[in-house]
Amino acid sequence: MSHEQTSLAFRENTVRALKDSPLRAAMRHATDTFGTKRADAFAPLADLEALRDRASAIRDDVLANLPMYVDRFVASATRAGATVHRAKDASEAREIVARVLSERGARLVVKGKSMVSEEVDLNSHLEAAGMEVVETDLGEYIIQMEGESPSHIIVPAIHKNRRQVGRLFADRLGVPYTDDPQALTKIARKALREKFLSADAGVSGANFAVADTGSLVLVTNEGNGRMVTTVPKLHVAILSVEKMLPSLADLPAFLRLLPRSATGQTMTSYVSVITGPRKAGDATGAKELHIVLLDNGRTEILSGESRDILKCIRCGACMNVCPVYRAVGGHPYGWTYPGPMGIVLTTLLTGMRKSHPLVDASTLCGACVEVCPVRVPLADLILGLRRRKVREGFSDPRERRGMEAFGKAAAKPALFSLGQRLAGAFWPLVRALGGKDVAGRMPVPAKTPLRRRLP
Amino acid sequence: MSEAERERLFLENAATTSAGTRSVSGTEALLSALGEIVAMDSPVYCPGVTELEKAAAPLFPVRVDDYAAAAVTVEEVFGGIAETGTLVCSSEGGRAVQAGLLPAHHVAIVRRGRIFDTLDDFFAALSGAPPTNLTLVTGPSRTADIELTLAIGVHGPERLDIILF
Amino acid sequence: MKVLLFGTCLVDTFFPEAGEATVRLLRRFGAEPVFPKGQTCCGQPAFNAGFEAQARAAAKHFLWEFDGDDPIVTPSGSCAAMVKHHYPRLFRDDPSLLAKAVRAGERIYELTQFLVHVAKAHEAGLRGKGTITYHASCHLTRSLGVREEPLTLLSSLKGAIFLPMPDAARCCGFGGTFMAKLPEISCALADEKAASIEATGADTVTGCDSGCLMNITDAMRRRGTRIRVAHIAQLLAEGL
Ligand code: SF4
Repeated sequence: MSHEQTSLAFRENTVRALKDSPLRAAMRHATDTFGTKRADAFAPLADLEALRDRASAIRDDVLANLPMYVDRFVASATRAGATVHRAKDASEAREIVARVLSERGARLVVKGKSMVSEEVDLNSHLEAAGMEVVETDLGEYIIQMEGESPSHIIVPAIHKNRRQVGRLFADRLGVPYTDDPQALTKIARKALREKFLSADAGVSGANFAVADTGSLVLVTNEGNGRMVTTVPKLHVAILSVEKMLPSLADLPAFLRLLPRSATGQTMTSYVSVITGPRKAGDATGAKELHIVLLDNGRTEILSGESRDILKCIRCGACMNVCPVYRAVGGHPYGWTYPGPMGIVLTTLLTGMRKSHPLVDASTLCGACVEVCPVRVPLADLILGLRRRKVREGFSDPRERRGMEAFGKAAAKPALFSLGQRLAGAFWPLVRALGGKDVAGRMPVPAKTPLRRRLP
Repeated sequence: MSEAERERLFLENAATTSAGTRSVSGTEALLSALGEIVAMDSPVYCPGVTELEKAAAPLFPVRVDDYAAAAVTVEEVFGGIAETGTLVCSSEGGRAVQAGLLPAHHVAIVRRGRIFDTLDDFFAALSGAPPTNLTLVTGPSRTADIELTLAIGVHGPERLDIILF
Repeated sequence: MKVLLFGTCLVDTFFPEAGEATVRLLRRFGAEPVFPKGQTCCGQPAFNAGFEAQARAAAKHFLWEFDGDDPIVTPSGSCAAMVKHHYPRLFRDDPSLLAKAVRAGERIYELTQFLVHVAKAHEAGLRGKGTITYHASCHLTRSLGVREEPLTLLSSLKGAIFLPMPDAARCCGFGGTFMAKLPEISCALADEKAASIEATGADTVTGCDSGCLMNITDAMRRRGTRIRVAHIAQLLAEGL
């Protein structure tokens, strides 16, 4: 199912979300749990800051030399027997995947979790081409059944509680109602096992792509990622170009940071390093491996002032600590990526025109900056996008006039004093004229401001 | 890290991931441990390729060649990593890495000499082109997709047993 | 020691008592606060909203008003962080103002920093009363790195009991113009903060930034909670 972008209606979306009490309870529970788990996971790790520096430096190097690493990856993956495709935008990526699958007669496609495939809206395209596409990550399976989009990049169904999942499974799968997560998991296992064994192809994402060896790295817990990449005879991986790491020796730093930041685990259940398709003498691997490298505007981001967002390794920690995300969940952001990293990526990938309210969706509290394992300066990036919003004329005209007046008064003390006095005099009027959202929440200016109380 | 320290750390860390852990010496002890762990799980998939697997296979009267149909896979794996209590499974030598994935129970034998101290040591020791599939396994298959409540055994094994030999 | 007092536009306009309390505290600890009369605002509202030219105008004026070598003290973590971390960006293309901006960043103290590190006020045996909890405001904590100083001061108060707040450093939802642009979320966050404050059972909540305290006061009013909200300068000055 296809999802229209609704980022322009961010405020309206949040008003709806704020009234949804099961959603808010789920978000509070989830973000609190994440917070504790993450802190516990990092506590025993000596020299976390040095590790973050190292990971950050590796990502900086990758971005500084991205075309070189991408070329190297393409060469090594090709040497390992994979077919690498370059897609400049979403529609090209969809076309390539659809073509590879349909040329090989694929009807049933099992999918591992891939935010890039969400970004390019792959499923609806494959379905339109007559394929059955089954999401196999438990969270993705749940929201696919519900016709929703993910509300978190790691835990897509984070907004749902166990009773909602229980009812959904009872309705759609005809199983007796249960709200026990372990029992619900078993139900999904059984339903999906049949799909894995009869699938014609697996489509996955990848957490990293290793330039030196042409390997794809998948960091997972459920085992569906392993199924998708080893059981069907055809594997198509779709990932964005910035996922490069120079070599396998760089991987451990990220394996230490990613699971701890994402789910508070020391290590995920599975880390798969896949290098090419099944070769002579092998008993593991898809017979054919296609890798689709998506650009979709990233090369342009690379040369601009927001390039540091491409360091992101999609751990989700920034959303887990974001007060705004915690209050409203991921759907109000209106596109694929929510939370602080989502504000930045959505604005850059879909354009200011389609997303400008998002850049205001931050209190700039800095909690995201404090947790990001690769030191993406999210608050600075959001500030940069706000400047761009102003430059490109997307800010509210009243705000613009107000800020212009502010700029003048701030540089002229007499004018500033006058403004102060006027504000005091007109405050009741401002409140009465519908300024209740702001003036109504602020006290009346003091009769005598500090400047006139001090000698 | 001394050998004893490395082994202790490996088993300790593996145990925190809800894997069952044992340390045995001598084929007899291995076979009796396998007997207890596998118990009633049947049928068994045991590739019977390595020496240890050859020794173990006769223990299980009902064996299958198709791991997808097995209740348990008993195999020797490539190695382990002490830092995280991780198993390393490799496709090298024609091994089916997914044999440790499909059955509900995975029993992995690791030789003592094959334990690496850290993730860095393991990746540094890889030279040349990596095998088609290298999978690091840390604990059984799990999810927290429903209310962040841990559930074990999603698509992979719900039970993982490690025997250090 | 002469110190320049930056009152901040919020304290100046809405909470002059906190400014007066700051003056009393500074005097008690041997500093001579001077209030540059032409001061206005550090420029943060414009800066955070993306209006760089207006922020630069305010910042330039600030640098002119606060020129010199004397320490600058301000009862706001957020404004101190603005000067310290964002002024250099604003003047990155203007070497002479950039040098002044960097120097101002080195000279500026948030009030509790000054009270602990320079004045040693926590060793002065200030008095307090009742039960006090503390909201750790965002920029103070994460941008300026001031985590311990307010706690050191509050727990030194004789006769008062300090009650820690759960998630004390979680944002209260003020966020400057955020409160105006997304008032519904702002109120929801302030509500949650108010609930954390109520859960401590304290009779007073304090903090180092009047923007947050204003937002918290509003949430208290909406909820009908009778907990006193006071800037840390006022609480400390009461114990002189
Ligand atoms: S920006 Fe940082 S914290 Fe957020 S998802 Fe990316 S890597 Fe994780």
